[in-house]
Amino acid sequence: MRISFHGTLRIYALLILPLPLLIVVGYLLPTAGVLGWSLSLPQPGLQNYATILDTPSIHSVIWRTLRICLLTTAISVAIAYLIAFRWRFASARGRMLIELFVLLPFWLSMLIRAFAWLVLLRNDGLVNQSLLTLGLLDEPLALVRNELGALIGMVHFMVPYAVLPLLSSMGQVDDSLLRASSSLGAGRWETLRNVFFPLTLPGVAAAMATVFVFSLGCFVTPALLGGGKAAMLAESIYIQMFQLSNWGLGAALSIVLMAMVAVCAVVFVKLVGVGRFTGRQA
Amino acid sequence: MKDKQHFIEDVAQIAQQRVEAGTLSRRSFNQLLMVIAAAAGMGPLRKAFADSGSVVVANWGGDAVPAFEKSFQAFNAAGMKLQVDGSGPTEGAVKTQVNSGAVRWDVCDGEMYSSYRLGKEGVLTPIDYSVVDKSLIGYGDVHEFGLANYSYSYVMGYDAKKFGKNPPKSWADFWDVKKYPGKRTLYKWMSANLECALLADGVTPDKLYPLDVDRALRKIEELMPHIVTHWSTGAECQQLLRDGEVSMAQMWHTRAQLVKQDTGGAIDWGFDNAIVAPSVWMVPKNNPAGAANAMKFIAFALRPETQAKLMEVYNMGPVDSKVNSLLSAELQKINPTAPDNLRKQVQMNNLWYADHYSDTLNRYLALIGG
Repeated sequence: MRISFHGTLRIYALLILPLPLLIVVGYLLPTAGVLGWSLSLPQPGLQNYATILDTPSIHSVIWRTLRICLLTTAISVAIAYLIAFRWRFASARGRMLIELFVLLPFWLSMLIRAFAWLVLLRNDGLVNQSLLTLGLLDEPLALVRNELGALIGMVHFMVPYAVLPLLSSMGQVDDSLLRASSSLGAGRWETLRNVFFPLTLPGVAAAMATVFVFSLGCFVTPALLGGGKAAMLAESIYIQMFQLSNWGLGAALSIVLMAMVAVCAVVFVKLVGVGRFTGRQA
Repeated sequence: MKDKQHFIEDVAQIAQQRVEAGTLSRRSFNQLLMVIAAAAGMGPLRKAFADSGSVVVANWGGDAVPAFEKSFQAFNAAGMKLQVDGSGPTEGAVKTQVNSGAVRWDVCDGEMYSSYRLGKEGVLTPIDYSVVDKSLIGYGDVHEFGLANYSYSYVMGYDAKKFGKNPPKSWADFWDVKKYPGKRTLYKWMSANLECALLADGVTPDKLYPLDVDRALRKIEELMPHIVTHWSTGAECQQLLRDGEVSMAQMWHTRAQLVKQDTGGAIDWGFDNAIVAPSVWMVPKNNPAGAANAMKFIAFALRPETQAKLMEVYNMGPVDSKVNSLLSAELQKINPTAPDNLRKQVQMNNLWYADHYSDTLNRYLALIGG
């Protein structure tokens, strides 16, 4: 049977239709619904957004969220870079070991990990007790039940997520490029700075984006380890929706969260240059 | 389920024998193993496709689930079984279920002020007082959309090894970190916190309501450097006391009793100056088992014998002081609504919470969030 060219196109269009349809139904419609809630509950209008603009405690939650998430991203990606770098130049057996230890935390529940940190970092936990008995401290360090604890827990949680895109990106760096660079006279640091690092930037951007978005939505770890002093935006949304059943404000806060993610996505893309992802030269 | 396990083990064994004999290919064996694993996993999943012949009671999980199951064992209404779901019927959860039409719970053990609010929003079924005998309730709110199901108190749990000789007797003692050194913990969702703060600041119980929120928040701020964290689950407050992270905790009497038993008396508590409150039975609209069965369950749960059983199993106080005489002497000592204990306590006013909870909670969390 011979179908015209346009007929073929139409058939192909029909075949791929399910995917955009799924995205619209599964993602865009509910998001529009949340936006609708923020504008209509409990009364139609922009009151919920006015509340967000007017309430200083909500501002401090948003700043705290941004601060903790940016810090988490920076620290996690830095640690992940070191891990991935070690992996890049390791033997096959070394690589296997590193992969095992990076993937192992994925099999542990987030709650168990948070509680483990509590046990370690509490005032009478392992870390403080050993430092006290060694005589290095007079009073226990407040390592947990504050922002520092939340940060530690979140970094621990995020490092495996940051390592994976970096592994893939570093794995793609051709050894011969590095050898070429040193054969042209560049020292190890120069090669690292001018050849290796720029080539891994797409991986770094992907890792930063992943960690940042995940940490924005994270609230169990900061809630447990932050002792109530590290309240994040995600937890505020949970409280508004479930504890107080104030759906309008919860929805408005969700839209604010989405806007933050969108802004950061744009910033990341601009910083790194979309060309790097699509393969076109910038 | 047990039979299924045996059967599956048997199938696996037979398959293995066949592979060794060469009559079953390795590939088919692997496929069979995958199917078996899926079937085994389906076991618990089957329960989630709720058996249509059960009344589902929702509560806050943990030890409370087996407690409910044990106390309400004798419930039987036209062949329906009881199922206890511990996922926590928060206001938002109930509202979501009713609005989306996928109601999973028949009767919810919720917060009393939630029943006022949800009732106003129209997501609850009115209680049928021709089936439920409200005269059985001696203590606790009874209104169109909910009724008291059991009572509990916010008490001071304290380290008996340190303070046993001179135990704290009032919330002023809780705030006194010089006389009773150590850290403190309070309830994150703020119920009773403000009352404790005002009582510590010298307000007499009869002048407590309407709560002077500013004064209470100032008092809380005073204690904040000594609050190590706010607990949000019952198990958490038990753990904080038991591990010595705090020397005094504002906690539910049920948990205080549990940690006292766990530690053999190293942690103690009392009803002095405590805040007593009722919990509520509420029925979401369009519940799966139907309103009639929900009311039958509530009527059953309200019977004096059932109330006594609940007290015996989990120390949840009855809502009728007459039930006290059915209890043993030890249980009477820890019963919040025993006349001797009720006298020492302050009763929580849930109508105030129904009107002011949201705004006040926002202020409270903003304060403790730093």
